[in-house]
Amino acid sequence: MNEKFMRELFKSLRLLFFILPMSFFAQNAVTGVVTEAATGMPIPGANIIVKGTSNGSTTDFDGNYTINNVKEGDVLLFSFLGFQEQQIAFTGQNQINVALEESQTSLDAVVVIGYGTVTKKDATGAVNQVSTEDFNKGQVNTAGQLITGKIAGVTVTSGGGAPGEGQNINIRGIGSISLNSSPLYVVDGIPLDNSNVGGSRNPLDFINPADIETMTVLKDASSTAIYGSRAANGVILITTKKGKGNEFKFNYSGSSTVYRPTNYVDVMNGDEFRTLVNNVGNAAAISRLGNASTDWQRLIYNEAMGSEHNISSTGNIGGFMPVRASVGYTDQDGVLRGDNFSRTTGSVSLRPSFMDGHLKMEINGRGMYTENTFANRDAIGASVDYDPTKSVYSADSPFANYNGWYTYNAEADRFIQNSLSPTNPIALINEKDDSAEVRRFIGNAKVDYKLHFFPDLTATVNIGLDKTNSHGRTIISDQMPSSQLDWNGAYSNYINSATNKLFDAYLTYDKDFGKSSINAVAGYSYQSFEYDNYSFDSEAQEEGNDAEFIDKWRSTLLSYFGRANYNYDDRYLLTATMRADASSKLNPDDRWGYFPSFAVAWNINNEDFFNSETINQLKLRVGYGEIANVNGLGDYLFLTKYTGSRSNANYQFGNTYYQTYRPDAYNEDLRWEVGKTLNAGIDYALFNNRVTGSLNAYLKKTEDLISFVTVDPFTNFSNKIDKNIGDMENKGIEFELNVTPVQTENFTWRIGYNIAYNDNEITNLPDQVEQGGISGGTGNTVQLHKEGYSPFSYYVYKQVYDANGRPIEGAFVDRNGDNQINDDDRYLYKDPFADVTMGLNTNLNYKQWDLAIVSRASLGNYVYNNMASSRSYEVRATENSILTNLHRSYYDTGFQSITEASLQSDYYVQDASFFKLDNITLGYTFGEIFKDSDLRVYGSAQNVLTITDYDGLDPEISGGIDNNFYPRPRIYTFGVNLNF
Amino acid sequence: MNYIKKLILIVPTLLIVSCTDDLDQTPIDPDSFTETNVFATAEEAKGALAKLYASLALTGQQGPAGQADITGIDEGTSQYSRLLFSLNELTTDNAVVGWGDPGLPNLHAMNWGAGNDFTTGMYYRLAQEVSFANSFIENAAALNDNAEVEAFIAEARFLRAFAYFNLLDLYGNVPLVTVISTELPEQSSRADIFNFVESELLEISDVLKESGANEYGRVDRVAAWALLSKLYLNAEVWAGEDHYTDAITYAKLAINSSYSINTNDTNGNGSAYDELFLADNNSNGAQNEFIFALNFDGNNSRTYGGTTFLVHAAIGGSMDAFNFGVNGGWSGLRTTKALVNKFDYSVTNTDADGNPTEWADARAMFYTDEQNLEINTISNTFTDGYAITKFKNIDSQGAAGSDAGGDFVDTDLPLIRVAEIYLTYAEAVLRGGSGGDLSTATGYVNELRARAFGSTAGNIASGDLSLDFILDERARELYWEGQRRTDLVRYNDFTTGNYLWPFKGGSKSGTAVDDFRKLFPLPSNIILINPNLTQNTGY
Repeated sequence: MNEKFMRELFKSLRLLFFILPMSFFAQNAVTGVVTEAATGMPIPGANIIVKGTSNGSTTDFDGNYTINNVKEGDVLLFSFLGFQEQQIAFTGQNQINVALEESQTSLDAVVVIGYGTVTKKDATGAVNQVSTEDFNKGQVNTAGQLITGKIAGVTVTSGGGAPGEGQNINIRGIGSISLNSSPLYVVDGIPLDNSNVGGSRNPLDFINPADIETMTVLKDASSTAIYGSRAANGVILITTKKGKGNEFKFNYSGSSTVYRPTNYVDVMNGDEFRTLVNNVGNAAAISRLGNASTDWQRLIYNEAMGSEHNISSTGNIGGFMPVRASVGYTDQDGVLRGDNFSRTTGSVSLRPSFMDGHLKMEINGRGMYTENTFANRDAIGASVDYDPTKSVYSADSPFANYNGWYTYNAEADRFIQNSLSPTNPIALINEKDDSAEVRRFIGNAKVDYKLHFFPDLTATVNIGLDKTNSHGRTIISDQMPSSQLDWNGAYSNYINSATNKLFDAYLTYDKDFGKSSINAVAGYSYQSFEYDNYSFDSEAQEEGNDAEFIDKWRSTLLSYFGRANYNYDDRYLLTATMRADASSKLNPDDRWGYFPSFAVAWNINNEDFFNSETINQLKLRVGYGEIANVNGLGDYLFLTKYTGSRSNANYQFGNTYYQTYRPDAYNEDLRWEVGKTLNAGIDYALFNNRVTGSLNAYLKKTEDLISFVTVDPFTNFSNKIDKNIGDMENKGIEFELNVTPVQTENFTWRIGYNIAYNDNEITNLPDQVEQGGISGGTGNTVQLHKEGYSPFSYYVYKQVYDANGRPIEGAFVDRNGDNQINDDDRYLYKDPFADVTMGLNTNLNYKQWDLAIVSRASLGNYVYNNMASSRSYEVRATENSILTNLHRSYYDTGFQSITEASLQSDYYVQDASFFKLDNITLGYTFGEIFKDSDLRVYGSAQNVLTITDYDGLDPEISGGIDNNFYPRPRIYTFGVNLNF
Repeated sequence: MNYIKKLILIVPTLLIVSCTDDLDQTPIDPDSFTETNVFATAEEAKGALAKLYASLALTGQQGPAGQADITGIDEGTSQYSRLLFSLNELTTDNAVVGWGDPGLPNLHAMNWGAGNDFTTGMYYRLAQEVSFANSFIENAAALNDNAEVEAFIAEARFLRAFAYFNLLDLYGNVPLVTVISTELPEQSSRADIFNFVESELLEISDVLKESGANEYGRVDRVAAWALLSKLYLNAEVWAGEDHYTDAITYAKLAINSSYSINTNDTNGNGSAYDELFLADNNSNGAQNEFIFALNFDGNNSRTYGGTTFLVHAAIGGSMDAFNFGVNGGWSGLRTTKALVNKFDYSVTNTDADGNPTEWADARAMFYTDEQNLEINTISNTFTDGYAITKFKNIDSQGAAGSDAGGDFVDTDLPLIRVAEIYLTYAEAVLRGGSGGDLSTATGYVNELRARAFGSTAGNIASGDLSLDFILDERARELYWEGQRRTDLVRYNDFTTGNYLWPFKGGSKSGTAVDDFRKLFPLPSNIILINPNLTQNTGY
């Protein structure tokens, strides 16, 4: 194959001959092999340099190297990322073979950063990396769960207790009030789009946590800047496991899990409710009481099971292509009856290497097939509302014996359900099928070509594709109680597709000048996002309306970026980044944004004057960066466009119904929202690296904040548009401490502790934006964005209490003193975000036993208890000619009726600070049970304990409004892990 | 190999260059159109005109809700006639509502603030209608000048004038905007707005189609005349000018047009009044009375506002939704005894407590079973206060409307009908306008009475005709049609102690409130973003 190639190589070498000074010819050449000490495997790409000079070489794929011009007395420095350096003096040897030891200290650990890697000790930004051994154990089916509680300033909150449920991950508070405030996820170099396609529970579901090698969190702007826009809220880099080693090895891991509901909403039981209605109801209401005592919540939740199996294999094909392949299967029921999540994943990773390591390729393919059966979550609210004195079934029911509130309608000659009554929760569970299949493929092909004639320079091209297809359908049987006169069941389906294409091309220049070194990257990135959604609705079809709908949109993102890392003598580190971004979401004049960042770090411990045995590392870091964001902004908003009406919103002229065209709100002036972050930090390592950690302080100012705010409809086509209008500020301090108090051959004990303080404040917003819709009434909200306060602060009336501390119905503080209580008397009180979050983890290894405990605390987060506020007034029990159960909060308040003000009372905003014991895992490693094998078994308990003053089901409510929350179960897992 | 290496370097370069153009994205959704699409022909532009009407009847581009025109408030609530009901009926003796929606209880209690969702929502709805109309007028003007396009533009100007008529009534001092611009507008005085509405209506009354020459659902010049008569009737309050003579002039033009009051008792129940509010009121004869009406349809034009709201929200207690052609009630709206008492002269039956249960005047459409005439509790208590059965989704044959599910209502909603213009004429005569006379006025009132009674039993003599009588007669004829507050303000009864009704000002027996409440506040959000605006006094 290689004739042409050899000629080319020869040409390149000839070029080198001309360049190199003639004098070098007189000196010696050294050859040898560099290998991994532990395995004896050759290390390709290891650096060999003559210390104090710029003369160096690298190993080829087989670990072979040749270095010329070595003089006697020179010292050769062998290095490779993740391994300890070795120095060998040249005393005339012809061959020097070196076995490098894997680095034991975390300081030499390789940290993944955007478009490259760096060692921990050379990092200039606030970067945390968590790898396999530190991941949370137990039942984990999505990436976010792996790092919950592990990193200061990173909060991971699940949306609820459903299987496969999405995780809301926030890094350093929320940085935007309208746009997406989730971090950017980058999987093996492919930045993902955060949006979730229909039928999927979580955008990160596609990746099997068992395939993840490391998760790296880039927190400050100087480290995220290379990703430019969309990285404004931090970046989470997910690196998947790759093939290694020479011989094929296999791993099987499997587990069985039980999910147990632990807590129920505090509603009246049958007897309590009977007593209440007998006391307060009129004769008609009392006559409606039943004799049963049904605990509806216990009927809709049940104990659920799950299991998981993963098999992976790593090895090397043909000696030049490391490979890893894996298959995973997860099947999990939810505690809400009928909920199921089943997922099959497969992945292949190939890393062939050609031309003596000059041409490296990396091909990753990852496929996922998920089947979701969604339990009907309407049953959550219905089980709280439904009359507890009724039994589930009644022989004379018109709807499959489901007890309910029915009336006869002569027009349709049938019984229909009272339109204001809750539907029988068991009917909701049984008579609705909602399921979807999601197929997703993410693949990338990356080529690194180290130029033959200029090996300091590597050209990289990365092409990626992320494609998702989902098919879902909902079938509601005709036996579902309904108030529709022509009810005969309903069917709808949808097909969603999302396609995200990536093309990256960049050059990396890596040069070691002896005392100093430079690593520079410059490149180009193009990404396109396309969505195509189709839906069908049978009811519309029956009515003769349009039954099929298509929604499509597309956006593109184009960027140029550059970064230079300069290292002087491992003492002074400098990083500078520049990124130019253009988004199709913005008008052509404001489309391009230019965003710089800088960071410096000083490794004090490497200074000559610093001579400490105790302190292994002391690094000071300061960084500043600007990052833009339009992630989550709608498309084409700067264009004047018209939306056509659907056929059920047409308008009649004469005898014809005309489709109407509405001009849509637009904003020609949309520009990038820009976040400017200053971060200062200290990284430290003490006592032989037994104590490590960091301290960070940051201040992030977001300017030209995009917010969906009021526009005068006299000047536009709606009352709200997305507009660059305000500023906000996040500031905080984070501290991390990792201690290994005991480290002996038989016993290791590690403790990790992190604490973060964060404060979010809107510093400028010429409008007030109501947020946080609640149930009870129509269109009520309890949150507000207002200048001078945290976003999503609760916007409430101040409750007045009697001498016994009971809230007085309808009595609120007249804050503006105008003798009337209206909207102007509401005030801002607390917010849903924690002031302080903490994580405390410990790992104990004693001989073959291992124990891991993960706990978290959150302080100063408040929750609005909507379950209590909307369901605890007396009239509710008997209104609308039906009976409706009450929340037991009624016993505390005695409220008669509901008003807007009582719903928005600060009485229901409660301190939801908590401590949670998340995870206890105990494992035992049997060691070699047969030749070359390794078996570990473990048991774990998750969501073990919650300590809180909050009255509702769970204090950890994403968004802070507790309404129809899917309870998080307690989880018990037993698992095995076998290597062979 | 050379080839491969070149490829490695050249292909990326090509891709980099080719991708830059990809930044110019345009909508690819099939429901999304550009200005060029929409104003390609007069035929296409008719869809944009339809939106100007639809934005008063519906709430967005998807029925019954979805793709909302106005965001931030409940979509069903944001419908024009539902807002009009909230601001002009719920604030008066005509109606109370039991729901705890944000800002809703404040309306009857007359203690709304500048951030109230309903006062804000209506301002948005009307201002948006002005912007829609401005955009339409500008774009349609570029179309080939033919008679159809000319009529389109005149109708758009009518709808813009109608929006300003409402703004004038509800808010008074609002910006006058006639072109599309993102510049923050200056505030105009109430008198300026009055003059604008007047001059627009006068101009287009010659351009709009001839009386009766347009399609059902679109306005002709009679609508301009009728709106002028309403404008002039209120001129003293709105502009401090006496225009009663003009009111008579334009009321006469409207009355003598091709429109006439409905006298077809299609369902044969003894009165031709109830036909005006039935599901087939676009064809049972009632349509001849409707000078300007909003069109609804249970399948093709769906909303949670409009008549769907008026029918469902008024059903509760022991009422059987079947009798209204729908599948259930929302247990919200009732009325106070102040309205019920206006029919006392025609009571024909009472219950054990002496409260009226039947009336000879067929306009007294009350549901009294298990309802208390007296209101003790407004919130969540449907049975306090008589319920009202005026609007139904049943046609003259007794069949339910077209939505087989029983959710959405077919009944159209008249915004201006001939009966109102009769009363406008009579009031203008009594207020001293010339060009009309008392006996014609009495005749008009008796036409309405005769229709209500199905006989001349309720007729009055011209000596009975007084301004107070007209106010009460307007309540009897037009209750729940969005007129009441305007009438009470014109009579200086809205805020004062001259006239009290249950829970006026939040007190059970009623109390006067501050005079500034004759006008609603400009939305506090708009005041915040536009420093050119001054809030109405008192807010």
